[in-house]
Amino acid sequence: MKHFRIIAIALLLLAIITLPVVAGGAGESAKDEDIVTLRFWGGVPPEAGPQASVDLFNEQYADKGIRVEYERFVNDDTGNLKLETNLLSGDGVDLYMTYTTDILAKRAEGNMALDLSELIERDGFDLTQYGGSLMESYYINGKPYCVPTKLDQYGIVLNKDMFDAAGIPIPTEWTFDEFREVAKKLTHGEGQDKVYGMFWNSQQDLTYILSYLVAQTNGGDPMYLSETESAFTDPVVLAAVELIYNMMNVDGSSPTHADSVTQKLSQEGVFLAGKSAMTIGPWMVRSIKDLDNYPHDFVTAFAPYPVYAEGQRNFTQGGYGDMLCINPKSEHIEEAWEFIKWYATEGMLPVVEGGRVPCFNTYDPAEVTAAFLKGGEELLDSETTMTVLINPADNYAAPSITNHSAEIKRVFTEEMETILLGDETPAEGMAKAKERADAILQQ
Amino acid sequence: MLKSNLTGYAFILPNIIGVVLFTLVPMLYSLFVSFTDWDYTKGFGNYNFIGIKNFIDMWSDEWFTTSLLNTIFFSVVVVPATIILALVIAVIIDRYCFAKLPIRLMMFMPYISNVVAVAIVWVMMYSPWGPFTQLMETFGWKEPPQWLGDPTWALPAIMLMTIWSNVGYAIMIYTSSIQGLPKDAYEAAEIDGANALQQFRYLTINFLSPTTFFLVITTFITSFQVFAPIQIMTRGGPGSSSNVLVYYIYTSAFSFYKMGYASAMSWILFIILFAITMVQWHGQKKWVSY
Repeated sequence: MKHFRIIAIALLLLAIITLPVVAGGAGESAKDEDIVTLRFWGGVPPEAGPQASVDLFNEQYADKGIRVEYERFVNDDTGNLKLETNLLSGDGVDLYMTYTTDILAKRAEGNMALDLSELIERDGFDLTQYGGSLMESYYINGKPYCVPTKLDQYGIVLNKDMFDAAGIPIPTEWTFDEFREVAKKLTHGEGQDKVYGMFWNSQQDLTYILSYLVAQTNGGDPMYLSETESAFTDPVVLAAVELIYNMMNVDGSSPTHADSVTQKLSQEGVFLAGKSAMTIGPWMVRSIKDLDNYPHDFVTAFAPYPVYAEGQRNFTQGGYGDMLCINPKSEHIEEAWEFIKWYATEGMLPVVEGGRVPCFNTYDPAEVTAAFLKGGEELLDSETTMTVLINPADNYAAPSITNHSAEIKRVFTEEMETILLGDETPAEGMAKAKERADAILQQ
Repeated sequence: MLKSNLTGYAFILPNIIGVVLFTLVPMLYSLFVSFTDWDYTKGFGNYNFIGIKNFIDMWSDEWFTTSLLNTIFFSVVVVPATIILALVIAVIIDRYCFAKLPIRLMMFMPYISNVVAVAIVWVMMYSPWGPFTQLMETFGWKEPPQWLGDPTWALPAIMLMTIWSNVGYAIMIYTSSIQGLPKDAYEAAEIDGANALQQFRYLTINFLSPTTFFLVITTFITSFQVFAPIQIMTRGGPGSSSNVLVYYIYTSAFSFYKMGYASAMSWILFIILFAITMVQWHGQKKWVSY
């Protein structure tokens, strides 16, 4: 009999080990039943607006029994993987942000995003009435899986004081060549005191830079000619690559890629520290207003991205982003949909202060501009903020091809790095990128 | 007999369940997946059988071949360098050092420190304002390498860090063996007129060969699986100069969503490691003396 006792003890031990897991799973759903708590995941740090926005919602919807809890995931490969693991494994997340169309397509096709057609039809919430026909570019296979909430309209960020001092008017239209000349003129000093004309922020993501420079001429798919052919030897793409290469390695009007990588340079550390007159994108508006961490006293203004050549501005760089999706496995789809409608049409003013411009036409542009400038009235040039970042255009270049996009981006990044570090000429590197990318696309 | 076996099994049951559930089943599943084109975002069961296509395709995939070569280069340098350095340092500490214990502990610190923290500190050390570049400039080197920003030097820079952090572990293992070495053999050698170098060459190395053998096998396996420093310091760049096999497997599974392909590469990695270990196992008869 002795060994039965021992087996019993062993089984008991096993039970003790596994029980808390089971019990823990059961305990979680037994929360306060009157209030529905939605878990909302986004990539923006809570203090940059989302928390204030969610608090506003919780206040307004307290009597309707809906509460939203915001959780931040870092919007990189690892963070998105964490989010997707959560989405695939159950209802840990009710609604979440998607930031790029290739990931959106993945999630729509992988049953991680709810098809919103029915809800939209039931409530007469047709997206095109709020954001025009561009909204349809964010449908996947003809169906809405998200509600885009943000206008991704960017431009070159520039130090107005440096432009004034050099007697250069703030450009409203310029070509690659003119841009390169301006950057050269604004570069001065040596060693630690050197001020660069431009900072490309190239350690972050080289494909963004390409897209800003190329999309205005070639349209929303700067890396593709078609589903099966990449665009890396296109003259506009090549000119953009050469522009960056020349400014880094020939003119010395921008920190080199090696400097960016080895010193982990950031827009805050270079542009806001007064070490460059221009930089690539305004997503650090929040830092501009944060004088405690980034003390500076110059005025920041904005200019549209330069174009390939005169008369080649066929599109406005921009599109919609911050795409809100619902987890199809969520138990609170109705409530999540309530929140999305509220957020898209009226709830975004707190995130505007953090630099995110809403894309719905339900907002008053003057109110949006005021919120955008709030806390930085002395530091942001209101006129160019309005014209470059906030006033919507009607000719955006919307992306439509996402075939193997992660691999194509990786190919481009690798060859681009090799070019910028001087181991390949732009023409050689891009020819190689095209060859490699086309091989992947034609698989 | 059966009864006592049963009792034994009952005791290890919790552990066995863990291993089966979280190691064995996923392993077998990955073997199965490696013959499919599974994209994990499409959910379970949503895949096509494509036979051994994955296993054939990888040899014409530039990313795979580059990362395999980088991994081999990495291991072929890191393993011998770590072991030789550790052997020499362990003997020197044992013979000629005061305060042996604190010194060994200091050497061991990097190994037990968090890889992420270590890697971030080394990123700073490799920056243009870091000690390496500054030192070289002081000695009149005109354009010192950009380390992590240079395709030629990025991988060697990571290798140097890996050697530094692993050598303490090897020293620890060697030290424990050195303390058990027979004193009489050394005394006899001394009487016969062998100097310190000869004693090291003919006695210590031979006596320690089983330990060396153990270290060669384990460090080879771990250095073939290097991942964390790459992920933190270079993400495989610049270009693909520091891409290694495990990092590429991770990229293709979780960035490119090609779970089947990634599983196939994992199995190739397993086969390579298994083959290397087998070769070493048979080769040991020639140089390991027990």
